[in-house]
Amino acid sequence: MTMAGLALKSLRKSYGPVEVIKGVDLTIDHGEFVVFVGPSGCGKSTLLRMIAGLEDITAGELYIGDKLCNAVEPRDRGIAMVFQNYALYPHMTVYDNVGFGLKLARTPKEERDRKIRDAARILQMEHLLDRKPSQLSGGQRQRVAIGRAIVRQPEVFLFDEPLSNLDAALRVDMRMELAKLHHDLGSTMIYVTHDQVEAMTLADKIVVLDGGVVQQVGAPIDLYQRPANLFVAGFIGSPKMNLVKAKVEAVSSNSVRVSSVDITPTDVFADTTGLKVGDEVTIGVRPQVLTAGESGSLVGRIDLVERLGSETNVSVSLQSGQSIMAVLDGDRALRAGDSIVFGFEPSSAIIFDGTGTARHPIAAE
Amino acid sequence: MKSRGSIVGGIAAILATFVVFVIPFIFIILMAFKDRRQAGQRDFSWPTSFNLWDNVVEVVTTRNWMLVTAFVNSTILTVVSVTLIVILAAMVGFVLARRESRWNPLVEFLILAGLMIPPAVVPTIWLLQGLNLFGTLHGMILIEVAYNLPFSIILYRAFIATIPRELDEAAVIDGARPLDVFFRVILPLLWPVTVTNIVVQSVGIFNDFTNPLYYLPGNQNATVQLTLYNFQSQFNTSYNLLFTNILLITIPPLIVFLFFNRQIVAGMTAGAVKG
Repeated sequence: MTMAGLALKSLRKSYGPVEVIKGVDLTIDHGEFVVFVGPSGCGKSTLLRMIAGLEDITAGELYIGDKLCNAVEPRDRGIAMVFQNYALYPHMTVYDNVGFGLKLARTPKEERDRKIRDAARILQMEHLLDRKPSQLSGGQRQRVAIGRAIVRQPEVFLFDEPLSNLDAALRVDMRMELAKLHHDLGSTMIYVTHDQVEAMTLADKIVVLDGGVVQQVGAPIDLYQRPANLFVAGFIGSPKMNLVKAKVEAVSSNSVRVSSVDITPTDVFADTTGLKVGDEVTIGVRPQVLTAGESGSLVGRIDLVERLGSETNVSVSLQSGQSIMAVLDGDRALRAGDSIVFGFEPSSAIIFDGTGTARHPIAAE
Repeated sequence: MKSRGSIVGGIAAILATFVVFVIPFIFIILMAFKDRRQAGQRDFSWPTSFNLWDNVVEVVTTRNWMLVTAFVNSTILTVVSVTLIVILAAMVGFVLARRESRWNPLVEFLILAGLMIPPAVVPTIWLLQGLNLFGTLHGMILIEVAYNLPFSIILYRAFIATIPRELDEAAVIDGARPLDVFFRVILPLLWPVTVTNIVVQSVGIFNDFTNPLYYLPGNQNATVQLTLYNFQSQFNTSYNLLFTNILLITIPPLIVFLFFNRQIVAGMTAGAVKG
């Protein structure tokens, strides 16, 4: 197996006049587990299919390894793909499904048999080899689909929402197995999902897409702690980050004082370059960093309390009617209808300027 | 639990089937046993003498073993035509269902035209003569393929539309070339509808009387249905031999039906219910 990273250079895809991928630049190193994540219709599957060669590339360049692959047939790209609905050949046994690619490549029978059985052993499905796909459960079918990918020993694995047809418990199991598989095989994997938990747990690198444009690329924890813009801030993290509109009241070198109907004047650390008094900004505060107390920046009325024992989820209406979420430690005996005050550390909130770009304070490294 | 109504309805249906299909067949069998004089009366009576073997020998040997030639011709015609129809129709259906292009509406119009416009005999003969295919078996094969292709294409295209596209894509990723995708993945999945198609088309072509009559003249070119004319003329008809002939040429389609019966029903309902 050769070292194979990928390079996408201003990749574009149009269907007639409609542009769905609007210039994606991305570098993926060999052995990385990259997750494309985004809402439905953001172009993540299309991007994956362009890498696979199932969709033509309208403009831009795709390199797999060192090879320009724009016009290369899928079979010559050194890739394997796992589909959301498994796409197993219904008329073939599991053995033949897994071995189909090898058969097409005219691999000698003994070698083929050895490779199929190796793949089956890795995925613990040796006892299923004689069955037809219709006799398998959802999890087993997805295992076979992964086996069909492994057996080709590809340089790059492509997964198109492989777990979204499985039930919740099985999804967690398969997620762990995929992580283990990536660890064992060490090959490059590109994984498409709309489930941010899958993205956070599996990825070395997350690519957040929206509207055919890359919003941010980075390690999961970086995306969580330092989202580049409002979209990423709202998309990554559960429950969603609270985003509250406010006006700038005062600007200092490394913080701004903001206020609004909902927020009493509060200092937040930020990169203040270009910000001036009177600017409209958005303050992002994660539900987990809010603390309930005697005094604080946010005052509201409790709509709903979910007591989970280890933590308490509180949904609160602010003055303007906007609703925010707070996740408080431990069990709190709060009641709907009561008034509550939340505070947060100046360093734990994020300021987004009028264009939606995050103003993270410039680190003093 | 069966209601009285469904029992009565079932019996009525069986009786109707018996009258429509079985009684004529019994008539054919009885006639085949009779001698020429008794058969001439064309009534539903028990044969007075046993002449089946003599009738069969005469039918088969008439006009220099014409029935044997006819069976050979009909078999070649049926097998080759049906094979071509199945493969070509499945291919066209596959391309039509999978590849959107601006030619699709035109192709679909032509297919419908093929179904709706009645074949014009004289221009077709003129065309066949121009191509030196008139009165030849391969010319006849092309005619049968052309006449029966549109129906088969429609059958296949509807069925292929129910096969998920990811299967093709998975095969492409696995390294399949277009012909591999078709022959190794799509065609095997079409088996239920292919069986239906084979049976319907082969019975139709084997029993075709008018087309060979127009396009395939000559004693050497006779097909089984045309041998019926050997014993029937304007003034003189040997009914015992005619019905023996009918009996002989009914047997092959009957065998096909008995053999494929279950798959035909499966194929007819395929697509209606998720298999």
